[in-house]
Amino acid sequence: MTREITAELERDPIYVVRTPAFDGPIELLLSLAQRAEVDLKAISLASLTDDYLRAIEQAQPPLDRLAAFLVIGARLVQLKAAGLMPEAMVGEEEDLQAWEDAIKGRLEEYKRFKELAESLMRRHASGRFTFAGLLEPDVIPQARVQVSLDALASAFRQVLDRLPPPGEVTVEMEQVSLAEKLEELRQMLARQAQLNFSAIFRHARTRLEAVVTFLALLELIRIGEARVAQASAFAEITVHGQERKETV
Amino acid sequence: MSSTVEDVTQVRDTTGLAAALEAVLFTLNRAVTVLELQEILQSPLADIEAATTSLTEALAGRGLFLQRHQDQLQLVTDPAQADVVRRVLRPEYPSRLSPAAYETLAIIAYRQPLTRARIEEIRGVNCEAVLESLEEKGLIEETGRLETPGTPRLFGTTMRFLQILGLSSLNELPPLPQSGSTSS
Repeated sequence: MTREITAELERDPIYVVRTPAFDGPIELLLSLAQRAEVDLKAISLASLTDDYLRAIEQAQPPLDRLAAFLVIGARLVQLKAAGLMPEAMVGEEEDLQAWEDAIKGRLEEYKRFKELAESLMRRHASGRFTFAGLLEPDVIPQARVQVSLDALASAFRQVLDRLPPPGEVTVEMEQVSLAEKLEELRQMLARQAQLNFSAIFRHARTRLEAVVTFLALLELIRIGEARVAQASAFAEITVHGQERKETV
Repeated sequence: MSSTVEDVTQVRDTTGLAAALEAVLFTLNRAVTVLELQEILQSPLADIEAATTSLTEALAGRGLFLQRHQDQLQLVTDPAQADVVRRVLRPEYPSRLSPAAYETLAIIAYRQPLTRARIEEIRGVNCEAVLESLEEKGLIEETGRLETPGTPRLFGTTMRFLQILGLSSLNELPPLPQSGSTSS
């Protein structure tokens, strides 16, 4: 079988290898290597691949030929690796067969899971959820935080980075109260129902003020007077005022 | 015929225990492990298991639903009532996951516990980001570590996984399509 294919391919080799240790079609190199008639250790597969990549840049061979090279290349790598690990030498052909079987098995296994994934997706899309009760006092209902906490934290970090670092010798204690900031935020949201996340910090002159403003925002979210959302990943986070709902 | 009397007592005990189980699950309103329940209900495992079956049967056709994930039990609303519950609760559920996420979930659900390496072997691609996102969504969790060099993390599904699919337990997952070799 190998001889037939080799003969067939030699007429139009996938690639002609030119190295000191071997000169000829890559198909021949593979069949010789499989019969241990050429020493793969003497051939650098890395530079062979580099040469091939350079060659196809100009030639742009069709996809099936590229694939054929990949298959042959992979087998060469496998053979060479097996050669470098002496204990794995026993029955190379069988090893290759086992290797092929393993890959086939894996593809079949993957296919089965792909089908299952679709059935899970359909089931999820049907919306037949089960719900636990509501009395989870420590949990902020998700509706108010439609932003990942990481995104919220990093948006806040950006706000902080824009503000001057804490002064080294400031002794005078700033007076920033949470109650004031809460009131300020409430008024901002009353004037404008939707604000950009950065906009709520526009009056903040120091990091302390920014931190207290952020705390005030979290508090408004907690008591249900505001919620945060993000139209898409990396979009600006928006703060929305909302009427306080009396829960429970 | 003394065994009949014992059987009757046994039945009454199981029903009573099922009622106690229902009350406990209702009050705690979270996933409770079978081990915890043995402690709380002062009953051996076999009795808890019997009570679980009894409660599941008693709840058939009702608005509540007994969910079981591995050794955890939770009283939740029946999947058939999802619409009405959603109307009152207005929860923000991410409605869809990515195809990669469903694939990874399927593999974990059927093969758990397993390592990331094993998942990547099946999917043939790096799964770090997908696993991270599923873990963040609370659909999977670390269930332990493999006792091999590097002690890789083992992943398994969570109660929440059952909840978004409205399953009573992992046994309710569609059967794994059979073909050729099935490694376990």
